[in-house]
Amino acid sequence: MSISDLQTEFVGRRGHLFWLSLKTSVLTLLTLGFYRFWMKTRIRRFYWSAIRPGGHPLEYVGEPIEKLLGFLIAVVILAFYVGVVNLLLMFASFSLFQQNTFAYVISFLGVLPILFYARYRARRYILARTRWRGMRFGLNKGAWGYAWRAMLHWMLTIGTFGIMYPRQAFFLEKYLTDRTTYGSAQLHQGGRWQMLYPYMWWVIITTTVSGLIIWGVATDTLVPQDLWLLVVLIPAALASFIRFKVQAFRLMANQKTAGGISLHSNPKTGKIIRYYLLGYTLIGVFFLAYFFALGFTAVFAFPDCLQDGQFSPSTCSNAYDLPTWVMTAISVVIYFLTFILWSVLKHVLVTLPVMRHYAETLEIHGALNLRHVTQSTHDEFTEAEGFSDALDLGAAI
Amino acid sequence: MSQIIHVGGTPATFDAFADFFDGHTARKHRVRLNIDNDLGTEMVLLITLPDDAVLRWPVNNIRLVRDQAAKDGIVLRLYDNALARLVIRDDTSTERGLLARCPNLHKRAKVKGRLRIATWAFGAVASVALIILVFIPIMANQLAELLPPEGERAFGESTFEQIRAGLDETGLEPLRICDGGAGLVALNRLRFRLEDQTELPYPLTVHVLDYDLINAFALPGGHIVFFRGLIDNAETPEEVASVFAHEIGHVVHRDPTRIALRSAGSIGVLGLLFGDFAGGTVVSFLTGQMVEATYTKEAESAADDFAHDILAKSGISPIGLATLFERLTEGKEEPTGLAKHFMTHPAAGDRIAKARKAAAKLTDATPAMTKPEWKAFKAVCN
Ligand SMILES: [Zn+2]
Repeated sequence: MSISDLQTEFVGRRGHLFWLSLKTSVLTLLTLGFYRFWMKTRIRRFYWSAIRPGGHPLEYVGEPIEKLLGFLIAVVILAFYVGVVNLLLMFASFSLFQQNTFAYVISFLGVLPILFYARYRARRYILARTRWRGMRFGLNKGAWGYAWRAMLHWMLTIGTFGIMYPRQAFFLEKYLTDRTTYGSAQLHQGGRWQMLYPYMWWVIITTTVSGLIIWGVATDTLVPQDLWLLVVLIPAALASFIRFKVQAFRLMANQKTAGGISLHSNPKTGKIIRYYLLGYTLIGVFFLAYFFALGFTAVFAFPDCLQDGQFSPSTCSNAYDLPTWVMTAISVVIYFLTFILWSVLKHVLVTLPVMRHYAETLEIHGALNLRHVTQSTHDEFTEAEGFSDALDLGAAI
Repeated sequence: MSQIIHVGGTPATFDAFADFFDGHTARKHRVRLNIDNDLGTEMVLLITLPDDAVLRWPVNNIRLVRDQAAKDGIVLRLYDNALARLVIRDDTSTERGLLARCPNLHKRAKVKGRLRIATWAFGAVASVALIILVFIPIMANQLAELLPPEGERAFGESTFEQIRAGLDETGLEPLRICDGGAGLVALNRLRFRLEDQTELPYPLTVHVLDYDLINAFALPGGHIVFFRGLIDNAETPEEVASVFAHEIGHVVHRDPTRIALRSAGSIGVLGLLFGDFAGGTVVSFLTGQMVEATYTKEAESAADDFAHDILAKSGISPIGLATLFERLTEGKEEPTGLAKHFMTHPAAGDRIAKARKAAAKLTDATPAMTKPEWKAFKAVCN
């Protein structure tokens, strides 16, 4: 740790995020989804400002209105494809194969390059609207280049049953990093893809053994009781995959440089797994209680709503002489409320602690070189992350 | 506008330090802050940089950067300068002093390019409307004629499963299919009787679903579905037979195939507009479209004519159509289910009259079901 090493603080608090995401989700519901561009922007402002490398917060300067505009543009472009092409595929699929799997597969494959394209464009927009110490980040053009590379990498990964996944993870990250700028400084991803491999073995071993057991039981080589091994193996596979992701992030961050500035990251796999486990367990417990409360209300407060032990809105509206639309409205509100609670709790109990850990274990070395960084030009970017929003790629934040 | 805090008649002096980023380099500047109100009219925040250069920020133009996670300070910007930032941290007196002096901290920037947004919004709505209301219906009408019989049947099967899942209110399992043996046998005997009078490239399939709604509908490829609600409400087998024949009419004219192709195309487009937020409701909305399908006036009258024709050929009285609808629409303000399907068009009265006329012509009618058959059929869902 020298004078020019900067620590990162994280100052976001759960209570603050809870109210912010609850409030914006409810507004999104009340505006039939329109407020979601404002919601996403405001939540990003919160997260960005919570991360303070060297004591200075990141700032997210994206405007909701440009997200809305980008979304509208994407809808105009995609509506034709989604409507007309899907209808033709559905027709071809039923005419030729008497089932719709073909249509789904082709339509998925057809949309795949657009998904990668959209992901790159979304990243470019987010970086162009991110600042630190007043300097803009940026991502150069290259979305189609990313899309075809991603397609080839995935083909190789699937073709080798996942063995080439580290290679894919490294080269796609390198493609993004080598096109990322911070002000006048150009980022560079160093290292080799093989450096990620030590963390891949456990993923390969656990998934292969799980696969063999399932195959063995399916072909009667093994007895069904052997499936019990999966109780251990599947969580182990999941944990080793999280370990791979965390450590790949660390290794690649440590090889990122920009004009004499470098990163030093040291996230702990154990902590990240603990945050996921604890977060999702708490969410699970909450929803158990939530659904129990709903069921309890239905059984005891409105016993006549039940028909053969199941809740039935039509029976309910007859029994209590309520118009059907009231029952429908209540069902719709409960339906959306469930989604809102899920997303709010996920922010507060999973995303925030995980992000805090990544932030707090990140250092910036060679910070003296920051004084050489000057401003880069503004990236206008009319369509913002419209494609990503329209296709609902659901970026975590 | 908020008032400036006056101490003993003279304005309080304001002298503080803060961090400043000018937006030209990543360098942090430690700056001195003073307030200049000598000009009398407009108060100005003076930002003195380490090299003694002074920036003048009119307090009216200072804005607070919103939704900041930190509670230990504030970030200020100038409304017409997108880049420069003034950061006040761990210094509540300076923070309060500044907040009290800047009257427009929360004022929103004017939305730029409203016309452009309005144009694209219009473009998005217009292109979605054009695709859903024009392109997809035209294509669906054409493709419905071209779909081979096996494809149509498979399409109907997959739609049937979607509807069973879509109508389930518990979200746990698809709607139950009623299979009360003797009742189903009776229904199928009626099916054979009607089917004999048609020339469909595939056999008809008939299902009864355990659902309250008084309704019946047809799906692509000759799948006809009755809800238990309709069976509970029917008083004679002729009523069931006439609804059955009417739905066969739709199948023969490929009306359900058109509607189903149309919704297959529309689901994706609507999903695009509403995002994941309403994904589930879009699907269930379109399930509703299928179940309470509203066909054109021409399609309805063609299905009626077809029904009268095959009922007459099978020796069943078409009177059921008249009696059932008369009873269903009696004293109801808002028709639902089958009544809605039937009442959508103003000529509903004509259709009842037409059914009576067709019934009067038929002199040698035989019952649609025998008494034991009818009894078994009424209990098909028990
Ligand atoms: Zn009809």
